[in-house]
Amino acid sequence: MRLAKAIGVRFLFGLLSLLFITFVAFIADELAPGDAATVRAGEKASASDIARIRTQMGLDRPWPVRYVEMVGNFAKGDLGKSYNPTNGAVIDVLKRNVPMTLRLATMAIVLAALIGITLGTLAAVWENRFGDRTILLFSTLGVTLPNFVLAPVLVWFFCFFLVEKAGLPKPVFALGWDLYRTEPDWYYLTLPVLILASRPAARLTRLTRASMIETLQQEFVRLAIAKGAPPRVVIVKHALRNAILPVITAIGTSFGFLLTGSFVVERFFLLPGIGREAIEAILATDAPVVMGTIIFSGLLFIVVNLIVDILLPILDPRIREAQV
Amino acid sequence: MKKKRTDVLFWFGIAFLVGLVLLAIFGPNLGTGWSKQSTNVNSGPNPVNWLGTDELGRDILARLAYGARISLFIGLTVEIIAITLGVIVGSLGVFAPKWIRGPLMRFTDAMFAFPDILLAMLIIGVWSLGVAPVIAALSITAWPGTARLIATQLASLKDREYVIASKAAGAPTFYLVTKHILPQLMGMLLAISMVDLAGTILAESTLSFLGIGVQPPEPSWGSMINTARTNMQSHPIQLLWPCLLLSLTIFALNFVGDGLRARFDPKSNAR
Repeated sequence: MRLAKAIGVRFLFGLLSLLFITFVAFIADELAPGDAATVRAGEKASASDIARIRTQMGLDRPWPVRYVEMVGNFAKGDLGKSYNPTNGAVIDVLKRNVPMTLRLATMAIVLAALIGITLGTLAAVWENRFGDRTILLFSTLGVTLPNFVLAPVLVWFFCFFLVEKAGLPKPVFALGWDLYRTEPDWYYLTLPVLILASRPAARLTRLTRASMIETLQQEFVRLAIAKGAPPRVVIVKHALRNAILPVITAIGTSFGFLLTGSFVVERFFLLPGIGREAIEAILATDAPVVMGTIIFSGLLFIVVNLIVDILLPILDPRIREAQV
Repeated sequence: MKKKRTDVLFWFGIAFLVGLVLLAIFGPNLGTGWSKQSTNVNSGPNPVNWLGTDELGRDILARLAYGARISLFIGLTVEIIAITLGVIVGSLGVFAPKWIRGPLMRFTDAMFAFPDILLAMLIIGVWSLGVAPVIAALSITAWPGTARLIATQLASLKDREYVIASKAAGAPTFYLVTKHILPQLMGMLLAISMVDLAGTILAESTLSFLGIGVQPPEPSWGSMINTARTNMQSHPIQLLWPCLLLSLTIFALNFVGDGLRARFDPKSNAR
């Protein structure tokens, strides 16, 4: 019962955050010069034409009314129409682009979690030895280096350097997405996923390491060692099970990095996802698509964190007890 | 041993940043200047253009310097706004009456949790492109972190004896905060502003890389990386300079931030 209530509260918070994002989007749109009426009227329209269209579209009503109406429409799945007639409704734009982003994000977060937890555990076991130092160095680089620095460097290495200097017949991975793909998908997606995963992986490595080092010093671990449990069992079964909890929370927050990263990676590799769509919409001043794509990204972020919040008490009985 | 290493990195960071500021002030007119196009395109390093020229024959070193100027200008402006807002909201979050305090901190938490580039893109997307929207967007996303930090620090400082003594002597809250509490936080504020500055410069470069930040012809490191990557196959060296300078700047700011934190906060053992 308590658990259900806790989850209910989380859900409510998620809903509130979403409402908050739509509000920020709405305010930003209100403050921006020009509105949907001026766009529909075209460049040569007179002031009275614009005013007439504005009345027709209901844009002259007070803003709280329009905000509530917008939220109502969003709830029904109506995100408005793109200013670009070939795009159609914003919801269709999303439908076309969401699969790619989800695919990239899932692969990247799974990869990041695998790398992060493995390397972090190894680093903690090897604390202050050579292996630990090396992992720490790479994870520091991974956290600090932006992915738009990493991306060109890796592309240059795999697609040009290895071909020209090492004499490979063709690039190891593709330079970018191609409408007429001739190779299997991994050829196009490996580099984007690697680059996308690098930052969360580095973050999760550091976190797992810190959490594991702390756990390994606790008494129940020493007891397990003392009673003669093999090291592998102590590390994986006793220590890691405890140490992994803050890491799982971090996977949720890392999803934010991932969304931000997907803008860069999708644009860089020309992948048809919501990140690329959002940038193109901003450059084309297509406000409905900008709002739709970014609110959707926000929704993804909130949903993932909600899942993590629900997962945590299920995994850890201590949190279950503590939660009211 | 460990302390010594942090010290070396700290002073490396300071030296690098001093160099960067000098470059930003005096650099944009080096060689043939940041905006002057010439027929000498894509040349390698030479006595006139120390780092060579780009695809329009403009001096790369001068453009990097101008990019440093823009990055530092945007970064510092955003930091000043973010810290001012952060101090105000953070103080209100501790000392204001409860009906203001609660919702205000909830709001701050919500803003803090939301991925900042998304919010920045939203603001730029429905507004317009250029330096001013970038500053506005990044300021709006940068203050919640500072506000939360200030709030936790203030909450722990407000029950110290000297504060209570001053309060007992009849000092008003405003006086308490500005005269007794905030000066205590100056060192820590300086330290976190360094780390935040790195984040802001990174965010600005990301936006410029995506083409929605600083607009051409003005160069930014991010947009320089973006143009250099189209030229990557024939002139990979052009990609190296902005990537290197951006990465070093971010490293240097983090080193200096860590060093300052170790100096001002005896409790944190420098990592």
